[in-house]
Amino acid sequence: MAETEQRQQAAAGAGSAAGEEPILSIRHLSKRFGSLEVLKDISFDVRKGEVVVVLGPSGSGKSTMLRCLNRLEEPTSGEIIFEGDDICQKGVDVNDVRKRMGMVFQQFNLFPHLDALHNVMIAQMKVLKRDRAEAERIAHAELERVGLAEREDHYPDELSGGQQQRVAIARALAMDPHVMLFDEGTSALDPELVRGVLDVMRELAQGGMTMIVVTHEMSFARDVADRVVFMDGGVIEEQGAPEQIFEHPRSERTRAFLGEIAN
Amino acid sequence: METYTPTPSAHLDRALTRIAAVLAALVLALALAAPADAMEAVRCTGRPNSDNDPTVIMGATQSRITFETAIEEGEGVSRLVLTVPEGTTFGTDDLSLTLLTGDDLLTRTKVEYRMSVDGQDIVFDFSPAITQAGHLSIMIDDVYFPQNGGEMQVAASYTDATGEHELDDIPPISVQGISTAESIAHWLDEQPWVEAWNSNRFLHLFFDPTLIVTSFPVVLNGFFTSIAVVAISFPLAIPLALLLATMRLSKFVLWRGIATTYVNFMRGTPLFLQIYVAFFGLPLAGLSLPKFPLGVIVLMLNSGAYMCEIFRAGILSIDKGQTEAARSLGMGRLQTMIYIVLPQMFRNVIPNLTNEFITLYKDSSLLAAVGIMELVMYARTIVASTGSITPYIVAAFFYLIITLPLSKVTRHLEERMRTHSGRKRARARKAAVKEG
Repeated sequence: MAETEQRQQAAAGAGSAAGEEPILSIRHLSKRFGSLEVLKDISFDVRKGEVVVVLGPSGSGKSTMLRCLNRLEEPTSGEIIFEGDDICQKGVDVNDVRKRMGMVFQQFNLFPHLDALHNVMIAQMKVLKRDRAEAERIAHAELERVGLAEREDHYPDELSGGQQQRVAIARALAMDPHVMLFDEGTSALDPELVRGVLDVMRELAQGGMTMIVVTHEMSFARDVADRVVFMDGGVIEEQGAPEQIFEHPRSERTRAFLGEIAN
Repeated sequence: METYTPTPSAHLDRALTRIAAVLAALVLALALAAPADAMEAVRCTGRPNSDNDPTVIMGATQSRITFETAIEEGEGVSRLVLTVPEGTTFGTDDLSLTLLTGDDLLTRTKVEYRMSVDGQDIVFDFSPAITQAGHLSIMIDDVYFPQNGGEMQVAASYTDATGEHELDDIPPISVQGISTAESIAHWLDEQPWVEAWNSNRFLHLFFDPTLIVTSFPVVLNGFFTSIAVVAISFPLAIPLALLLATMRLSKFVLWRGIATTYVNFMRGTPLFLQIYVAFFGLPLAGLSLPKFPLGVIVLMLNSGAYMCEIFRAGILSIDKGQTEAARSLGMGRLQTMIYIVLPQMFRNVIPNLTNEFITLYKDSSLLAAVGIMELVMYARTIVASTGSITPYIVAAFFYLIITLPLSKVTRHLEERMRTHSGRKRARARKAAVKEG
């Protein structure tokens, strides 16, 4: 435990306290699929150590926005400034960007041909060029952090959805990312398994990790988020502190969405 | 004027003639002085029992030995011991012993004797002893010489009034060695059930037991060739197919076009035609390769096209999320392919690959058309010389011993892909090792 936290703090940089300067700055981000405009001029900043929860109805462009951040989707226009560099520029080493930006998927996407331990090890060895012993040590530590030390020799299809998602989180964390992106990480889980994953995410947030979380978990947003971004129809409808969004939503759409969720 | 002067050589001639005359007289005198042997070996021959070539005696084939001696009058031969060569088996049930006497040796004379067998020795005790002059001939009818053949020396000794004497100068019998298959075939030839079996036209034509046995070792040579062809071309086709599959999945039209054209051409034309083009076309174009490597190359090129489609489908069947997850961790396109996509793809396509291997193995028979000595070709040579179809059936057997187990393996793998019993067992083993 202690080790993972140390590594996380080291990764987050010397100033582990939430700094003023944004680690990630999205400027006028647009994305269209053919004639369909999915993201329209999105702009927002994420500061170091901040937990931003993105809410919104399905089809509002939340996931697409998140996937643009590590260029799994190519933005049509706009800038994404990550740690000082616009990663949308030509000639940017996208793999280098992704090394510093972990992602967790709705469908976990664990590698089915590898057991839990090797799922966490492989990118460490191939991307960060860590030697096997070090990769294994770190994988152990990360799996322990997500409470799965006992299951490290299990293959993904021998794990429950919640366990798989926790392995996926460990896999991303082992790369010492500076930012973690969660793309509906609990949406594919049976209700009783959601909690374990949320606990891990909560702990991560408390440890100072910068996180952008697309979710439907309102309680998580309320408890953990430093800021809530509400998206609808490809635009940011409203953003602010969770109390403000949940208690006094300014936008009509936000109010409608929250009302629907409450029912 | 010429005067006769004896040359030195003429002197020598005369001297030599004189020496020769003296020597001859000496030999004659010695011969007369020596006591006459009571018995002398006249002949000792072997002969096959079957209707086959009587001059060829083969190992492990029922044969007979005819042993003939001349007996002098007077001495009284009371015992004769024949020693059959080591490694030769014999039966004495049909053994016959004949004494021919008279001036022209045409009178058959009855001989009273008792016969016993002791190891390789056959002992004849004559009572009364044979005192008549004549030829004694013994035929051992049920002899099997050693399979490996060689010079077989029958030994014999006899006992007369003056004691026991060895018979010298018995000529050896030359026995030709034969293979195990031939020996089994010869044995089969003698079996009544084989005769009954072969009396059925169909069975005789397709399943002649003797021919099955004799063609087996010959066709086996072709089996090795066929296996070699496939064992080389199949692994070589895998990288080719991977390259083609990658090209077909490429973003670049040119790569896609080249690979697609190639695959369509190879899959859309018969392999037989491709073999002909390669074997008859390339030499005309001035490019000549030895048959075997050329055959391997053609099969590889053909199989590569089919495998390309297997791989392409295999790669496409891997969930896009796998690639995204790998890329999101910072892995490059190639790394993702090598460490994430291909291992999963290979595991999924193993049944298809096994089928492709089976197909390739069977298709290697087409190389017979261009004279590569593979299974069918070897079988064909025997068919041509015997007129029986049986060697083809033997060849079929050699295909089946590979294809049947492999299709079983395929089914097993398909079954296992659905369960993970193998993995759980592996982990149980690992845990056991840890504890132990």
